Amino acid sequence: MQYHQDPLQREQLIRNYLLKRLDAGAQEAFESHYLVCQECFEELGASELLVSGLAETGVDQRRLEDVLVLQFSGPAQLTRDSLGLKSLLQGMLAQKDTKVLIDLGRVSRIDSAGLGLLLRCYSHAVHHQGMLKLLNPNAEVERLLRLTRLDEVLETYHDEQQALESFPK
Amino acid sequence: MEPDSQKIEQYRIRLRSKVSYHLGKFCPDIEDVVQETLTRFLCALRQEKILNPEKTGAFLSGICNNVIQEYRRRLWRESKADAQWSGSKSPSTSESEMLELRDAVAAALAQMGERDCQVLRAFYLQEKEKEEICQSASLTDGQFRVTLFRAKDRFRKIYRQQLKQAASAGH
Repeated sequence: MQYHQDPLQREQLIRNYLLKRLDAGAQEAFESHYLVCQECFEELGASELLVSGLAETGVDQRRLEDVLVLQFSGPAQLTRDSLGLKSLLQGMLAQKDTKVLIDLGRVSRIDSAGLGLLLRCYSHAVHHQGMLKLLNPNAEVERLLRLTRLDEVLETYHDEQQALESFPK
Repeated sequence: MEPDSQKIEQYRIRLRSKVSYHLGKFCPDIEDVVQETLTRFLCALRQEKILNPEKTGAFLSGICNNVIQEYRRRLWRESKADAQWSGSKSPSTSESEMLELRDAVAAALAQMGERDCQVLRAFYLQEKEKEEICQSASLTDGQFRVTLFRAKDRFRKIYRQQLKQAASAGH
């Protein structure tokens, strides 16, 4: 690929690289290139910063009946170095509510740190004789929950009403 | 011919980025993997194993891939879990530098309008194609590019600053 021909095309490639969407060949080719190209390396670094900044988002709280629903105010990633993690944890730990539903509808990515955080939130809820459930994880997040068997601990729903009704009255 | 020290430092910074990408930013052994890669690379250079200088990047990347693989195998043998990587060794960026960087990133984002941020989120986080974004935000191709590259320009400056600080701090 000609990395210097069209800046927009390069930006799409960088985006896909950062989101780990490139196949092995394209990834290796881009890495081989930026190791010897200062311009592309700087573009990669700048995009990484921009993406990390855009992924930072707060957590909105709303109460439906006696259930506290936590939802990201914008697109978010629950990864080790994202502030989304801290926002969610702060939102959760500050609560004394015993019934909590976390809406993951706006979470596009999650890694081991994000899964760890969900478990921490779950432990916090259980410690206070409460319950924590998840709403609307995307296919990738759901796959990871299943793979790590966290879905056996964290009940997951795709319908808000159904999720609310699952909490004991 | 052996590269000068400035060139080696450039390779070091870029390799750090590649290794972080594959092992995670909080892996405590990033510096070790980078150093081992550079050592093998310089050794190969001295032995004149790089026949085509245009393939230097691919050669360096290949060595780095091998070192990463060996590191992973060693971890697996020693049964170290991913969770243990956030251990005692310092990551390549200190906590205060991270906070400083976050402030700079937040300030740059605050300077951009909400509409620009929405366009950028659609592109970078929601992985939408340019045509789709232009249609939903009523933008022309030119306006989309201006939004994207104006933002990139701001963040490039922050990144260059970060690189300078890292170089002066010696990591």
